[in-house]
Amino acid sequence: MLDTIKKIRQEAHEALENIKNLNELEDIKAKFIGKKGELTQLFKDLKSVEREKIREVGQALNEVKTFIENTLAEKREKLQAQQEKTVDFDFTLPGRHYNIGSKHLIVQTLDEIKSIFKKLGFSIYEGPEIESDFNNFEALNFPADHPARDMQDTFFVSDKFLLRTHTSPVQIRVMQNNTPPIRAIMPGKVYRNEAISARSYCLFHQLEGLAVDTDITFAELKGTLVHFAKEFYGSSLKYRFRPSFFPFTEPSAEMDITCYLCGGKGCRVCKGTGWLEILGCGMVDPNVFKSVNYDSEELTGYAFGMGIERIALLKYGITDIRILFDNDFRFLSQF
Amino acid sequence: MKISLNWLRNFINIPEVSNEEIIEKLTSVGLEVEAVEDYSKMYNNIVVGFVKEKQKHPNADKLSVTVVSDGKEEFKVVCGAPNCQQGKKVVFAKVGAFIPAFGETLKKAKIRGEESFGMLCSEKELMLSDSHDGIMILNDDAPVGTEISKYFGLDDCVIEIGITPNRPDALSHIGVARDLAAIYGKSINLPDDKVIEADIDVNTVAKVVVKNSIDCPRYAARVVKNVKVKESPEWLKKRLKAVGLRPINNIVDITNYLLYETGQPLHAFDLNMLKDNTIIVKSAETDTKFVTLDSKERVVPKDSLFICDAEKPVALAGIMGGENSEISEKTTNVLIECAYFNPTRIRKTAKKLQISTDSSYRFERGCDPNNVIYVVNRTAKLIQELAGGEICKGIIDVYPEKIPNKVIDFRLGRVKQILGFIVEKGKIESIFKGLGFKILNSDVNSLKVEVPTFRPDIEREIDLIEEVARIYGYDNIPVVEKISIPMKSTVDESEYNDKLRGILTSLGCYEIISNSLQKKELAVITGNPVKVLNPISSDLEVLRTSLLQGCLNTIVNNLNVGEKSLKLFEIGHVFKQINENINAFSDFTEKEHLMVALTGTSINDVWYDKNRQYDYFDLKGIVEELFSKLGFNDISFAKPEHHYQYMKNQFEIVVNNKIVGYLGIVSANILKKFDINQAVYYAEIELDILKSLKVNIRKFKELQKYPKVIKDLAFIVDKNITYAELEEFIYKNSKNILKFVKPFDIFESDEFGKNNRSIAIRLEFYDENMTLTEEVVEKEFVSIIEKVRNKFNAQLRGEVK
Repeated sequence: MLDTIKKIRQEAHEALENIKNLNELEDIKAKFIGKKGELTQLFKDLKSVEREKIREVGQALNEVKTFIENTLAEKREKLQAQQEKTVDFDFTLPGRHYNIGSKHLIVQTLDEIKSIFKKLGFSIYEGPEIESDFNNFEALNFPADHPARDMQDTFFVSDKFLLRTHTSPVQIRVMQNNTPPIRAIMPGKVYRNEAISARSYCLFHQLEGLAVDTDITFAELKGTLVHFAKEFYGSSLKYRFRPSFFPFTEPSAEMDITCYLCGGKGCRVCKGTGWLEILGCGMVDPNVFKSVNYDSEELTGYAFGMGIERIALLKYGITDIRILFDNDFRFLSQF
Repeated sequence: MKISLNWLRNFINIPEVSNEEIIEKLTSVGLEVEAVEDYSKMYNNIVVGFVKEKQKHPNADKLSVTVVSDGKEEFKVVCGAPNCQQGKKVVFAKVGAFIPAFGETLKKAKIRGEESFGMLCSEKELMLSDSHDGIMILNDDAPVGTEISKYFGLDDCVIEIGITPNRPDALSHIGVARDLAAIYGKSINLPDDKVIEADIDVNTVAKVVVKNSIDCPRYAARVVKNVKVKESPEWLKKRLKAVGLRPINNIVDITNYLLYETGQPLHAFDLNMLKDNTIIVKSAETDTKFVTLDSKERVVPKDSLFICDAEKPVALAGIMGGENSEISEKTTNVLIECAYFNPTRIRKTAKKLQISTDSSYRFERGCDPNNVIYVVNRTAKLIQELAGGEICKGIIDVYPEKIPNKVIDFRLGRVKQILGFIVEKGKIESIFKGLGFKILNSDVNSLKVEVPTFRPDIEREIDLIEEVARIYGYDNIPVVEKISIPMKSTVDESEYNDKLRGILTSLGCYEIISNSLQKKELAVITGNPVKVLNPISSDLEVLRTSLLQGCLNTIVNNLNVGEKSLKLFEIGHVFKQINENINAFSDFTEKEHLMVALTGTSINDVWYDKNRQYDYFDLKGIVEELFSKLGFNDISFAKPEHHYQYMKNQFEIVVNNKIVGYLGIVSANILKKFDINQAVYYAEIELDILKSLKVNIRKFKELQKYPKVIKDLAFIVDKNITYAELEEFIYKNSKNILKFVKPFDIFESDEFGKNNRSIAIRLEFYDENMTLTEEVVEKEFVSIIEKVRNKFNAQLRGEVK
């Protein structure tokens, strides 16, 4: 019987070595250790073995059984792993899409800017689009019949009310409704009575900034805006501040950054100057403080404002502003 | 404004400073250089050429084929100008030359089959003037091959400066030179204004009466007799052309020249045309017709300031002269007006008449009332030099009340408070002196500064601080790298909308931003719109009363480009007029709305599914999900109290018992107006109401410990019975082990009868404290079936007779 066992072991070993698939594996299992398997049969025959050899034969049987079982398990694992590697469907078909929509590109741009200032502890305020002449102009130190008003072509809805030409009137509202210290940004839609073209639209978005406290300085304004620009445009950015004029700030400035399309060499976009203007800013004019009953001897402040469309057009390489308001799905779905 | 750097350098002696540096410095002090035309570099490869041969073009009657020599080589050039002649000297642009008028570099071309190596240019093509009367024909002695920039003396560099409205002083070459003087610590050189006067007393030849000295605080005049009006000399014409002016005649050119030199507008009258040799400055008592120099008749509004002679207006003060007294070739005696007019008056008239001249532009920003004598002398002197004649003795100067220089107290400590760093006192003083200000008094903490009248923008200490910062250089101001933030709660008014955007985009909606300005006829459908008094066009004459129009415009634009399936949302303000006149915020409303719209197919030609059109329930699902994610548990949809005529199947959206908006299908009549022929599902929500609603913090619900039992059933009921009625009835008439009811199949069939439908419902039973037994559930299930049967006359499916 020991010889038979040895033979079975040999046969099983050869069969297991040459095994090719799981079906064969099941056949081998049945052949040797299945209910009617050869080895199973020998176990049944064990009782007819001479007493003194029972122990030896038994051990031999068990050893072969364990060998077959272990090898089977090992082979099964290998074959299964192999099987999982083969693909039985056309995986090149596109996946099922569950479309996520998108925020408008202008809103996405605003989000980026807002998040930079929020981290600096700025609040965010909004204001109405129909404004009084007082909030939009007078309180901001634009006297009636002053050439400064020509800087902004205005849509009027009556002789006292208009579509705000900038987000600066929200400054007035924020100062009227809060006590300093104030650090705030104010995004929103503004309107200009300009012919619609590739370069200008009758409405666009601005983001206004305002800080009022007892110790706000021009140096802090510069620091804050440089921080913003580096966060937004990259830390290697070069910048400059130029004197400019806004009735509601004094001193007033405009901030330029090196044209990132030509690296400052001069191109069409920067009109050959190598610089791109990104925002206007300055120290809050004492007349503005006066209009909201703040004491300009005690308080100082800065304000800044930037056009969002311009930033987005430059950043994403869009050459016609109207595409932002056409809402063509082929555009919306790109961002 | 255009500034010629050659001209500018007449007033400030800085030969060591390059043009490039001047440009950079001017920008750094706030005179932003927006464009640079460097003529010395502009006309490379354009030379004096000689037309050796000229033949007709074989394929074009109006063209000729020439052979042009540059002295070394000969080139074949096709030319279209009729005045091109053999043997003439011309302006020849070679291949590679930049042609300013085209903004392009010249390439070798084939014109009607003939090759052309360059072109012969007109003045217009080189942007030397507007003249396009054929090509330029040069004098016969022009040296062939000479670069054109050398030949014309075009070595100037002309810059365009964007002058902000606060800096009228910089609207002249001397004014710009003054900023440079402050930067480089130099003084400016003013040309001599000493005149040689004849014996005739000016008061015997002319008289000036100012009747409105508020609008005309100063009026000065000189008379030059026996002048010869003719063409200006080349140098003067060149200067004027450089700054973009067209030379007219020597007298007019001189007034323009001095305007660009000093910033003081001037006017020259033909004295012989002035009735009684008299000037009367007075306001128009009524709207008055007047023909200005440009031969246009204008209706000048009442109260405008006129310069009149003894009987009629002869000039619109500070804006434009009149045709009736302009300088002509016949003019012999000239009265030079050099005045200071009230900025507001000039601005009002110019704005009403919608004219802006070099003169009005300066007067309305503010000229220097105390510089008129210098300028009138310079003018008389130059007229005498270029047009001959005798300068009458004396100046007529009507200046009843002298406008004084301003004196401003300046605290040195305030500089640090505003700018954030200390500027040395000595530096501050030198900046002020450089700008032409006087230091009247100086002590440890303060200065007393006298500011001349050429700087009307400087009135306060803060304005002086700006001057310090400007000349010191903004880029030299340190950058603070640390700020301190008070521990005060911050506000974010845009947070809620950002949350809405987050939910809606995750539901697959795309955000649009549409124009708030719209067509009136469509805006009136959704409310009484606020009108814009001065719209760009009739398409944009009112403000939107709803977000519907913008949405439908967006849909139609997309349909036109083949984008037929859209899932959109917009957040924006809508406006409605309440009272007839807008005098206060209460006369109109401005509210923030949200719209969501669906059109086309939900699933669109994919390999794994069948196409399906969007329907009402897609929109309803989005709205339900939106409110649920916002934290509201109580959402329902109600038949509207007020049905909008532009909606079909409209329902009100009710959240926490408040109507927050509506949803439905846009009426076919409206869609027709927009040329949309597919269904549009539309919801509009008033965000002000929504934001006012309280959201309760959701409390955690224990997870189920015991298995739930699910039972499905289907009733055939009358179509008029709504699902909501059924559901409500089931909930109300069952024990509390029934936890959840939902419909899972709705079905119509002839089998059920015309007025019936099948509603399949899933019931979920669960007990928090134990495993439900089959008997308990079965009993309740049967009871529910019985009650529904009785109440709604429903049939359980499978029992259909």
